[in-house]
Amino acid sequence: MKPAHTDASAAAKVFEGPTTLLPQPCQLVIFGGPGDLSWRKLLPAVYNLDVDGVLPSHFTVVAFGVPAEGASDADPDEYIRARAKSGIARFSRQAIDEATWANFARGLFFVQGSFNDMRAYEQLKARLDSLDQQFGIPGSRVYYLAVPPGLVGQCVEHLQAAGMIRDPADTTAFTRVIIEKPIGRDLESAREVNRVVGAAFAESQTYRIDHYLGKETVQNLLVLRFANSIFEPLWNSKSIDHVQITVAEDEGLAQYDPNTGDIIATRAGYYEGIGALRDMVQNHMLQVLCVMAMEPPWSLAPEVVRDAKVGVLNCLRPLSPTDVDTNVVRGQYIEGDMYGQRVPGYRKEVRQSFEAMGRELPRASVHSTTETFMSLKLFIDNWRWAGVPFYLRTGKRLPKRVSEVAIQFKDVPQILFNANPETQLEPTVLSVRVQPEEGLSMRIASKLPGPKIRIYPVKMEFNYASSFGGSSPEAYERLILDVMAGDATLFMRRDQVEAAWQFVTPILDRWERAAVRDLPEYQCGTWGPVEANRLIEADGRFWRNL
Amino acid sequence: MTAPVPFAPGGSVPIPLREVEAELARQMQPLQGEGEHPLQFARMSNLVIFCDRRAEAERLAAEVPSVVAIHPARVLLLLGEAGPEDAPVTAAALVRPRQNGAIVNTCSEMIVLHAAGPTVARLPFAVRALLVGDLPINLWWASNQPPAFAGALLFDLAENAQQIVYDSRGWVEPTRAVAGTSHWLERFAKTLPGGRWRVASDLNWRRLKFWRRLLGQTLDPAIPGGATTTASELLVEHGPHAVVQAWELASWLTRLLGWKVRAGRVEPGIEIEIRWTFDAPHGPVVVRIKRLSEGPSEVRQVRLQCRIDEHPATLVFKPLDTTRLEVTTEGVEAAPLTVTVQPQSLAELVGRQLSDRERDPVFTESIATAQVLAQSLTA
Repeated sequence: MKPAHTDASAAAKVFEGPTTLLPQPCQLVIFGGPGDLSWRKLLPAVYNLDVDGVLPSHFTVVAFGVPAEGASDADPDEYIRARAKSGIARFSRQAIDEATWANFARGLFFVQGSFNDMRAYEQLKARLDSLDQQFGIPGSRVYYLAVPPGLVGQCVEHLQAAGMIRDPADTTAFTRVIIEKPIGRDLESAREVNRVVGAAFAESQTYRIDHYLGKETVQNLLVLRFANSIFEPLWNSKSIDHVQITVAEDEGLAQYDPNTGDIIATRAGYYEGIGALRDMVQNHMLQVLCVMAMEPPWSLAPEVVRDAKVGVLNCLRPLSPTDVDTNVVRGQYIEGDMYGQRVPGYRKEVRQSFEAMGRELPRASVHSTTETFMSLKLFIDNWRWAGVPFYLRTGKRLPKRVSEVAIQFKDVPQILFNANPETQLEPTVLSVRVQPEEGLSMRIASKLPGPKIRIYPVKMEFNYASSFGGSSPEAYERLILDVMAGDATLFMRRDQVEAAWQFVTPILDRWERAAVRDLPEYQCGTWGPVEANRLIEADGRFWRNL
Repeated sequence: MTAPVPFAPGGSVPIPLREVEAELARQMQPLQGEGEHPLQFARMSNLVIFCDRRAEAERLAAEVPSVVAIHPARVLLLLGEAGPEDAPVTAAALVRPRQNGAIVNTCSEMIVLHAAGPTVARLPFAVRALLVGDLPINLWWASNQPPAFAGALLFDLAENAQQIVYDSRGWVEPTRAVAGTSHWLERFAKTLPGGRWRVASDLNWRRLKFWRRLLGQTLDPAIPGGATTTASELLVEHGPHAVVQAWELASWLTRLLGWKVRAGRVEPGIEIEIRWTFDAPHGPVVVRIKRLSEGPSEVRQVRLQCRIDEHPATLVFKPLDTTRLEVTTEGVEAAPLTVTVQPQSLAELVGRQLSDRERDPVFTESIATAQVLAQSLTA
């Protein structure tokens, strides 16, 4: 029997499948267009899509928001074009080609206005309608809400009030909305965001983005599992000892001018009070876990795949308060060493960041207990994964930037090559690297050349760049394209988001009740607090060397 | 503060630490031939080499190509010098093509890190960021400082190492070092968590491989009427800086023969001698380790005084030439015996040791005996 669907309109879509994989003519409206996400990621992503020739022929990008302080208001369109060009020059995977840029810039516009100003929406609507005429676009819109979580509701309500959202049944044109993580800061607020968005947009119009799901390697996990015959028979508790998912960042909160040492950018305003659980685990890591652990979907239709993913979340073993105490570790970085330079601890960085932002440090942040590291052990209680521990760890200011999913297979019986206890035999490990170098590797045992039987671990590598040449598209490129094509496979459905929050809520509750003055510490440039090692070593396992 | 001058031996390119990986990729690119398979780094492990003298670091940098020809590895050569300055850790990187017949399909990489004074303690941080994941980590401790006394730096550098290779040749304070090594080995093997174990290897022990083979086969207690049942004195002569090597050999042999040390003392002089009295099953035996004032830093000769067919005799073990060890008998007629020796350069010793990860209980037991001998001198 095929699984039931949680959403009736989505169920209808299943049998249609994606109508087309081609992006359809539309206008991409970026709320927060002058902002950091847009500058670093979104505009470079759209530019790359243009270079690759995959954008619809009838297409514009309209940035909406308030320009950065000090920007000239002489020509808003020229302002956003200059900002886009600087972002593309700095962050794009493909260098600027002046001819392509000139063509791209002709379709790039800026509407200045505040998100809480109804008149600004009216101006935006008028400009979009005018551009429809100018570019021959049938009225289709993709609204990308690259705004702080607290502003999502406001934007959606104003869009609705301004009559800027089409009925999902409208066959002449579409309206779609992209919402960035974090969706809420706990289960209750996530439900509220979903309720507000759901009051204006149908679920089929809503695309909750998690850029990790747009990474080639994450998508390749599905191909690896379901397009190769050798892995899926082993993909279960009979063969797998445990799984480790790591998302390690080398950066801290702030970026510094290499010459003056002054803070030039900081995420403190967002991160302080949010922490690793909300920033990484609840979304990216659980989503990757879903792809890694899901049952084979019976088709690649978006809702079928999303059903399979949410099935994993629904099987996560709930954590009791005692489980949180024993299976979850949090930590905070203290002064240490990164790439040969001393770097400050988290609390100092928070203080300096608020000073640099010209904002008063909140009282709760004076002795911040925001976790910059966390590791946890979880179980998926279904037949496939019964008894297999999944170890997750993530943190800032770890020695290097690396994300991977590693599947460690069970040891062979101690009969032949490792019958002698003096012989070391490492377990077989399949690791899927999400970043920085996307690819996968398999560690196997091999005989060293020579007359004696000596065994040494060797690594078989597949690297995207060396196998396929060039650079892989950025995750945002793929995801923006999918929205224009109406393919929601790689986006989080409402029930998925809420199920993920449901799982982490006991952790948040326990931490709130067990208020602590200080978290376990780790030096910048190390792999986290010793408590994280103890978590896994208590099971006779250890974190992988990355 | 003036910018530190990066230490960049062997043609390596100075580069900010953060950009090492990009520099390696950049250097690799021009080595890729058109139409050939993608070039790859040949890597069996991470090899972290630590030394504390610049001249030694330069010498080791020159040895690296020969080491990785035997054991391909990502090499991190660390120079942690004494010095008052607190300058940042500097880096240099080098990619070398590896010829495989007519084509180049792999290359090797060397990353050089330099620190001085207080900055040396920051080297382990830099190393963590540069290790290749999922490959074993080997630490070659190329310092005269015995590992037992190296403290936090060695502990941090070896935090996830599966093997530490050290060389007891040239150790300062050899008696104290020998006395401390056995306990250190025991602790070292136990410090890797999660059920993993690791090994420590002394290059000097590996150098003794053929000596042990010839001595073991000649003096096997199982041979009826063997010389060991009548032995009265064992002399091990060694060149400068090879006292620990001689000590290890004597420890191994006395343990093999079941002799128990009674007392020991050091005889000072130009040719320093260490002398022990042992209780053997057949009576007391004197064991002497004698330092020769010049010549190669290695065991030069082993002499065993005994009785053969009721006649006083001396078995003399010594190199016949660079490819053979020989045992001859003085005092009685006997044909000489030889064993073929594979000459082993430093690179060969290290390269082969890196691939050899099995525990060697004979080594650890011999080092434990060496410790007992050292304690007998201080008692």
